[in-house]
This record gives sequence, structure tokens and C-alpha cells, in this order.
Amino acid sequence: MTETRRFRVFRFKRGDRGPHLDEFDVPVTARTTLFDAMRWIQFNRDPSLALRHSCLHASCGTCGVRANGREVLMCVTAVHDLGREITVEPIANIPVLTDLVVDMTEFYARFPEEHPLVRESGFDLGAEASEGVATYQRYEDCIECGLCLSACPVVATTDRYVGPGALAWAQRILEEPRDEDVLSVRDWADDPDGAWRCHAAFECTEACPSNVNPAARIMQLRGTLLGPRLTSREMPR
Amino acid sequence: MRDTTRADGVPGASERAARGPVLRKGVGPSPTGWFDPRGRAIGSWAFAVNRITGLGLVFYLYLHLGVLSMLLSGRSAWNDFLEIATTTVFLGLDVLLLFGILFHGLNGVRVALVGTGVVPNRQMALFLAGTVIGTIVLVYGAVHIVGNG
Amino acid sequence: MNAPAARTSGSHVLIVGGGGTGGALAHDLTLRGVKVTLVERGEVTSGTTGRHHGLLHSGARYAVGDQESAIECIEENTILRRICPGSFEENDGLFVAITDEDMEYLEPLLKGCADCGIPTETLTPDEALRLEPLLNPDLKAAVRIPDATMDAMRMPLRFFATAKHGGAEIHSYMEVKDLIVHDHVVSGAVVQDHVTGKEGEVRADIVVNATGPWSEQIASMAGVDVPIRPSPGVLVALQGRLCNMVINRMHRSGDGDIVVPQRALSIVGTSSWTVDDPDDLGVPEDHVQRMYEEGAKLIPAVKQAEFRAAWSAARPLIGSRGQADTGRELSRTFKTYDHRESDGVEGFVTITGGKGTTLRVMAELCADVICAKLGIDAECRTRDTVLLPHEAYYAA
Repeated sequence: MTETRRFRVFRFKRGDRGPHLDEFDVPVTARTTLFDAMRWIQFNRDPSLALRHSCLHASCGTCGVRANGREVLMCVTAVHDLGREITVEPIANIPVLTDLVVDMTEFYARFPEEHPLVRESGFDLGAEASEGVATYQRYEDCIECGLCLSACPVVATTDRYVGPGALAWAQRILEEPRDEDVLSVRDWADDPDGAWRCHAAFECTEACPSNVNPAARIMQLRGTLLGPRLTSREMPR
Repeated sequence: MRDTTRADGVPGASERAARGPVLRKGVGPSPTGWFDPRGRAIGSWAFAVNRITGLGLVFYLYLHLGVLSMLLSGRSAWNDFLEIATTTVFLGLDVLLLFGILFHGLNGVRVALVGTGVVPNRQMALFLAGTVIGTIVLVYGAVHIVGNG
Repeated sequence: MNAPAARTSGSHVLIVGGGGTGGALAHDLTLRGVKVTLVERGEVTSGTTGRHHGLLHSGARYAVGDQESAIECIEENTILRRICPGSFEENDGLFVAITDEDMEYLEPLLKGCADCGIPTETLTPDEALRLEPLLNPDLKAAVRIPDATMDAMRMPLRFFATAKHGGAEIHSYMEVKDLIVHDHVVSGAVVQDHVTGKEGEVRADIVVNATGPWSEQIASMAGVDVPIRPSPGVLVALQGRLCNMVINRMHRSGDGDIVVPQRALSIVGTSSWTVDDPDDLGVPEDHVQRMYEEGAKLIPAVKQAEFRAAWSAARPLIGSRGQADTGRELSRTFKTYDHRESDGVEGFVTITGGKGTTLRVMAELCADVICAKLGIDAECRTRDTVLLPHEAYYAA
């Protein structure tokens, strides 16, 4: 059964004085996702609408937007969950490239040097290895979507805070060092603009579509950083 | 590469290379940072109210010091103040003060426990516990403050 | 990191299409010292490349019916693990026989793999269940093969990252509206920049059509025809990591015969039909149901698993119009078309066909053709060049 929903879509091309919202009425069904609706606009109303997407199943993290102010991935968000009128904007706190697309350079710039993609299950306390398997490889949960950065109220006030995504990564490296330089990651995190800038709003965990739980990881990271200090233990060098 | 010198052959290369506008939370390009609770979850509300109550309590502290300094001005000045201090409006403000103390204190305990990695995964439970305790104490306190005024 | 070769020529190649093929080609040509500009109408890998289930093929799926493909796969499987270390979940895969009919495929599978150089290990049902406890307990046999899982976007992104840092210009959100053709010579493209809204031209000595299922659309701008049939298939993502190895059905290719783990999701695929417009694929509901049914034969928990997403991706299959309705019969190999030879149009090359696993070798053979056309004598270096990490693509 098809009905129509009204979408107000953020539009901005470089060289414009400022952004504006374009309105579109889009036919939707029970199964239509926000991505389907935006692409319908792109193919049927305005081919200049720029959209970022790749995997279409919440695995690549490229289709993050704010729908009615809430951070979501377009490809797994059903339109009928969003209400009659839907405002779609790019995610916050990261520079806009065009329309709904942000320039992820500043997202990645907040991370420590190299961040590994694949981990061994043995280090993951939550992993269940089957009987016949000693250990297996598994991608980190983080899909680098940037929704956490958009949701964080502290990131909204400053560009210097490294943000929840990067800190969650740092915690993962401390949890499972592999060949990483743990001390340099510690130093990187142990900074006023690092782990200590977080104010426990927990918006990042709320927004994360991939079970990273960055807020809890930041708190665990702080516990790890505090431990040696409280017990006056010399940090191994 | 954001290298504006490689602009040959591609239209608009220098505009592409420039830093784009940065949106902050809220509908449209809003200048507000932490104090824009639209579209946010309970964690952000707690964060915002903690800051407001913090400012409020600091303000109250100076106010209180100012009031106490009236003691230096002698008995009658202090008695004049006590008359104001027992009006309903003033007592209502006292209840507001109590809310501020409770919220800031209990949420502060939650933030301290969660934020140092002691109980990182229980933040919602702590928030609810704080709400329950705080509500009970606030109601009890409000009844007694206004009741005895 | 290997330093890029000094510029060996003044030649400029414009690659249209930012999928895995375009990215790998940009990387290969850049290493050979060619100046490369790549334009892609959306985000890189937003066509077919980013949408597949993330399988790094061992080739076993093709070992019986399409040995040319199978050999390509196992060779590239080995090379990609070497040049993209840390980009794969190297947990292997299983071919699982559920019915007696499946068991008839066991011998041909083992023989086919042996012929193609794909290592296999036959397992008893117990051994298989110990590795993967959620498998159908009625399975009759299992064969372990060197499949692996990749992040379908981030592995190709490493090619883009390396090309970019080697000097290639990668422009996403730049859409080709038309090719510039005079007297059967293609000399560039008219592009619309979706970042600025402006139109402009990009001139080049050779334009490469690397647009996958959109190949025909771009080729027609040059007045040539390429026999590409967009052949979509449905995939379904379910909540829960139901397996750690890739699970394949032991039979000739069919619908819903693979389950691939992707972080905390399980991807069940796929189906096959053909369309004319690669931008209008649809997601047929009966295909989605078939994924559940067939997937549940491999892993019964699929039936109860919570839905995450259902989508379609179009394979660029080579064949002529009118041939085959389902698309499976068409070969999965790839081809480079030098349109001077096939159509008398100079300065235009199409590279198409193939699959995610073979992106590097597709680029190698296409780059060979391009360098021959440009009179450049440079060898391919992509077999042994370790790629930059994917986040380097976004580094300033």
C-alpha cells in the first residue's frame, strides 16, 4: 500500500551563500527505507542531490544522516518509523561536503595513527568460540559511520575533542594490544582533549548502530588510565 | 588529497578543497553546542541540567555569602532578611535549591562512578536509582520546607 | 610504502567509475607512472562493489562449472591477502552437503578444486559441527576451503588510498554527463560536479569505462555497444553472527546458497535475474523469502533471526543481448574492450565483468592494454605492492 510522506532535505552546494531545505513528496510503502526515499528523489525529482552510500546493510557506515534531529543510518531506517514529515540533514560536527554528504577527513583525523580493522576472538571477552575453534578473526564492531561524533554534545562545542569513536578505538587497542604501541596510545588518550573531555552524556552509545558502546569504553579507558596513578605504580616504560 | 594546486582539468577543484560548513546539533546550522537538547536522549538532558544546576549552585553560594554578610550589619538587618526568607515565594525557591542540590549531587555521583571506569556499564541503572532517591528526598523536603514556613 | 614510479609519460587517463575495478586500475596505472583522474558520480564503491556479501572467493564455487574463474579466484585470493594484510577475516569457509543430491556434488567439487589448485579438507559432520555449531545438524559432509570475509567497501578503498597518495586524482560526486567525441576519437568527458553544482570538462588521452553494470550507458555516449547484462541478486542481512566461516551449499550455483558473517550480522545470498536499467533493480519479496528458506537449510537459526536489511546488487555479466534469462549461465570472467579494435573508436576502453575478488587482475590486464595504446613500457607492480590502510583515503 503506497502513501506519501513529505521530506525536507538539506541542500548545499559549494559556492552557495548558505544551505536551504528542499521539500519533496515521496511515495512510500511499509518497507521503504530512508535511503530508498532519498534515492527516489535523486532519480525522479532532482539528480543533483548528493547521497553517500555503499553497502546498503549497515556494514560500511557511509549513509549516516540526521532524520528529525536523530542520528541514523539511512539504509536500515524505515520511513514509517519517522513520522509524517521528515527533515533530513547531514550529520553534525563534521564539515559538509555537499547536500547530505560530509567530508570524513576530519572524522579520521581524530584517530590515533593506525587503527587495526580485524581482531582475534581470544581477546574479545564477549566472543563465543566454538569447540573446534581456538580462535577466529573478526572485524571490529566500529563501522566508522561518525554518528557518535554527531551525537556528542561535547564535540558540538569544540573541534579539539578527539571524540567517542577514536577513544573507543583506543580502548580496544589497550584491551587487545596485538602489535600496537600501547604506551603511545595511552599517552594520546590521557589528554584533556582525549578521554578526560567526555561528560558522560552517553549520546554516542545511543546513536551507535553497531554495538560499539563508545561511552562505556571511554569510561573503561579512564579506569585504565587512572589505575596506575591511584596505586602510585610506576607505569612500565 | 586536498591539494588546491592540482586544480587543472577538474571544475570547481578549489571550492571542493575548502573546508565546508559544520553543522551543530539541532535543526539547521545552529550555533548552540551543549545546550540544545532537541533530538537528544536522556544522557544529554542530564548533562545539560548538571551544568545549569552547577551554575545555579555557584550563584546560590555567592548569594548565601552575601546574605550571611548581613549578620555584620546587626540584628535588625538580619531580622528584615528573615521576614523575606519565610515568604512562600522564597520557600519555593528553597525547594528549587533543594532540587538543584539533589540533582547535581546524585548525578554527580553517577558521573563520578561511571566516569572513572568503576561501573561503566551501569549508567542508566544509576540514573534511575538517583531519580528515585532524589524524588523521595525532594518530596519529603518540599513538604517540610513549605509546610513549616 | 613503495614510491610511485617517476612520471614516464605526459599521458593522462580518465577513469569513469569508482568501483573496485576503477580503484584498482587507478592504482595500477599510477604505479606505472601514468597520470590518472578518476570520476565517480557518488561515493566510491557505491555501485555494485560496496553491496556484495563480502566474500573473498576461494574459487571453489566455480571449480566445477567455470574453471577459468576458479583459477583466477584462488590466485587473487592469495595475492590480496598479501597486499591487503589485516583486511580479511581469514576463517576459511565450508561447503556443506545437506541432501543426497548434494553428496553427488562432493566428488566433482573435490576434483574440480584439485584441478584448479584450491586446497580442500574433507570433514565429517561432527568435525563440521564442532567448528560451526549452528550448522544444520542433518548435514552429510563438509569440505573446508580457503574462503575469507572482507569488508566490501574498505578493502577496495585501500586501492583508492594508495592511488591517491601516489598522485592520482580521485573525484567522487562528479558525474559524467557525456563523452567528448570528434571523428571517432574520444578525448574526454563532460562532467557535472555535484559538490559545486557546476559543469565542466575533463580532457584525457584515454577514457576508461569502468562502470560495471552501467557500462552500456557510458559506452553509448561514445556510440559503441558493450554486451553487458546487469544481473542483480537479492541479499538479506540478519542480526546475529550465526557463523564465523563462510558457509556454502554443496551444489551447483543456486539461490540463497551462501551465508557470510559481517561483524555482528549474517548475510544470506543470493538470487539472480536480469534487468535493463541498473538504477532500477527492485527487491522482489519472493526472493527475500527464498533467502530465508534456503539459508535456513544451511543454518536453521536463519529462520528466527531478526531482519536487518534486504537489498539488491547488480553483477556486470558479459554476454550478448537475448542470451540467457537468469544470468547465471553467462561467464563470470572479465574483459577489456579496446574500442578501436572492436568499433573503430579511438581513445576509449571498457573494462567490465568480473567480481570483487578479481579487481586487481582485471586492472592489471586493462592497464596492459592501456599502456600498449599509449606506447608506455611499464610493468605491473600491483602483485607485490602492499596497499595503504583504508583510512589513508581520507587523510589530507
